[in-house]
Amino acid sequence: MMRVLRAFAAYHRAGVQTMFQYRAEIVLWAIWGLVNPAVLYAMWSSAAESNPDHTAAGFSRGEFAAYYFVLMIVGHLAAAWDAYEMGYLIRTGQLSSLLLRPLLPIWKAIADNLSYKVATLLFVVPMWFVFAWVVRPEFKAAWWQLGLGAVALVFGAILNFMLGYLVSLVAFWATKLDAMGEVYFGLGMFLGGRFAPLEALPRPVYWIAACLPFRWMFAFPSELLMGRTATVAEAVAGLAIQAAWILGVIAAFKVCWAVALKHYTAVSG
Amino acid sequence: MAQIEVNQLCKTFRVPEREGGFRASLRSLWRRTYRDVRAVDHVSFTVEEGEIVGFLGPNGAGKTTTLKMLSGLLHPTSGEARVLGSVPWRREADYLRRMSMLMGQRSQLVWDLPAMDSFLVQAAVYGIPKDVYQKTLNELIELLDIGGVLKKQVRTLSLGERMKCEICISLLHRPAVLFLDEPTIGVDITMQARIREFIANYNRRHGATIILTSHYMADVTALCKRIIVIDHGRLLFDGALSELSARLAPFKVITIDLDHEVDGYDFAAMGHLLTRADRKVVIRVPKGQAAAITTRLLSDLPVLDLNIQDPPIEDVIARAFGERRGEGEMGARAAEAAGQLEEIGFPNPEGLGHPEALSHPDTVSHPDDGFSAGMDDRGSQP
Repeated sequence: MMRVLRAFAAYHRAGVQTMFQYRAEIVLWAIWGLVNPAVLYAMWSSAAESNPDHTAAGFSRGEFAAYYFVLMIVGHLAAAWDAYEMGYLIRTGQLSSLLLRPLLPIWKAIADNLSYKVATLLFVVPMWFVFAWVVRPEFKAAWWQLGLGAVALVFGAILNFMLGYLVSLVAFWATKLDAMGEVYFGLGMFLGGRFAPLEALPRPVYWIAACLPFRWMFAFPSELLMGRTATVAEAVAGLAIQAAWILGVIAAFKVCWAVALKHYTAVSG
Repeated sequence: MAQIEVNQLCKTFRVPEREGGFRASLRSLWRRTYRDVRAVDHVSFTVEEGEIVGFLGPNGAGKTTTLKMLSGLLHPTSGEARVLGSVPWRREADYLRRMSMLMGQRSQLVWDLPAMDSFLVQAAVYGIPKDVYQKTLNELIELLDIGGVLKKQVRTLSLGERMKCEICISLLHRPAVLFLDEPTIGVDITMQARIREFIANYNRRHGATIILTSHYMADVTALCKRIIVIDHGRLLFDGALSELSARLAPFKVITIDLDHEVDGYDFAAMGHLLTRADRKVVIRVPKGQAAAITTRLLSDLPVLDLNIQDPPIEDVIARAFGERRGEGEMGARAAEAAGQLEEIGFPNPEGLGHPEALSHPDTVSHPDDGFSAGMDDRGSQP
């Protein structure tokens, strides 16, 4: 295990160094992470303001500010893009180089994921502060909510990464996976509560979202961190659901990875 | 002791295919057709510890597919293999730590960082102790002469520099078995020679077992005493390089420099006229008649200089494959090829005499047939 951790640390260092080579790109990614929630906040807050009770879907303007501020942070820290990446690695033959090494390629993907987040923090944190200063979010989170919310955020990030990686294995059969990546990303936006708080969705869609993993990646940690999850029991139940999803996805990954490797054709390398 | 044991290894790929044109493209939207392509067909061989074996064959012959199976990248359709006592496609970490595969067209280096950073990652991934890493790295830097490029970003390196760094990163963990897939591709002649020298040196120092594929016959002739020839996924020859040359080349190439132009002389009657330019004539003659024909040429012509040589090995092999595939319909080709191979002393591989053996629908098609690079000039040079 120590060997794996040392290798992981080396991959992580190389990943951060690679990110630092492209400073302009880091800034652009940071802006991209800001724009989406900012636009949606503007839309929903004006909807709330236009209603007589100054709320929409049970959120006031200040609560929308808090929701999208937290979602901005959750969206960044739980970001994963491997659903797009695997097809590229296979098509360019880079996967073969990784498979020749005595370490599963997923470790490098995790290290790269963390590298992106660490390297971009320097740029996104000031933007978060500016956003908060402009929109004045209304928080009512207690300390226990912040503590459990942090755990939920980590679980959400693991779940998003692992599920994205599992989905990416389709590339062993389909090779080109960009559309699959878009579908995965779109589902995460819609059913993960990133377009709109899940409470704003029609009831059937709300329940569908509750049964799928996307809610547990983004919406649940955000709701917990902004103080909308009322009880400890509710929060712990949510964490248990996240853990169950993570374990299920890891188990599925182990099986699918073995099958995918048997199917691998290494045509490009 | 055998380090690599391959027994009846087969690999079949299922590949989509369609006719050219828009209509066929449209049709393929709802109806796909696939074809089974047998890339490796019952290949068996063993390689002893410390041997360097050249793996030869035209494009699409199945060389790289075989190496990919032996390095654990591909699962075979059937057959067995053991490398260093492990079944490669089980991908046990202990096995992967003891072997390396260098693919000339694929990079293990981090493109955006100096090569040294990639080496550090490699050391961590392979768990190389610090002192061993430093010692090996120093040795490789010296042998490959890459001290001056380690701080440069990989993407700014020249092809030759990058290739040397690729070799360095592949050998940092001192693999006991090395699969080299076209290690000199794209680099200039001087660099090719240096890389060859390095590979020979590494083999001597560490007793590593090496399988090498290359389109440059100079790589093979300089490094390999033994070669394995494969075509259409089938093993055609496994033995000493000298033996292959003797079997496949029962002729000599005579090059004559004439003092002045000679009109009307029938060079074709002496042998197969390869080239004739100005006062230089090159003919290929049966080995047994070389002496007699030389005597006759010397007496008939105003010869300034005369040179008798064995044909280059690339021409020999290219000719064997080229003639086997060159013209006529498939069935005739197969029969002819089998006949030719037998005629020149090639062991007739199982089934090769049957026309369907070469026109089998399961065998690989080769749109870009033939050896590339140094082999393209076959027949035009002695």
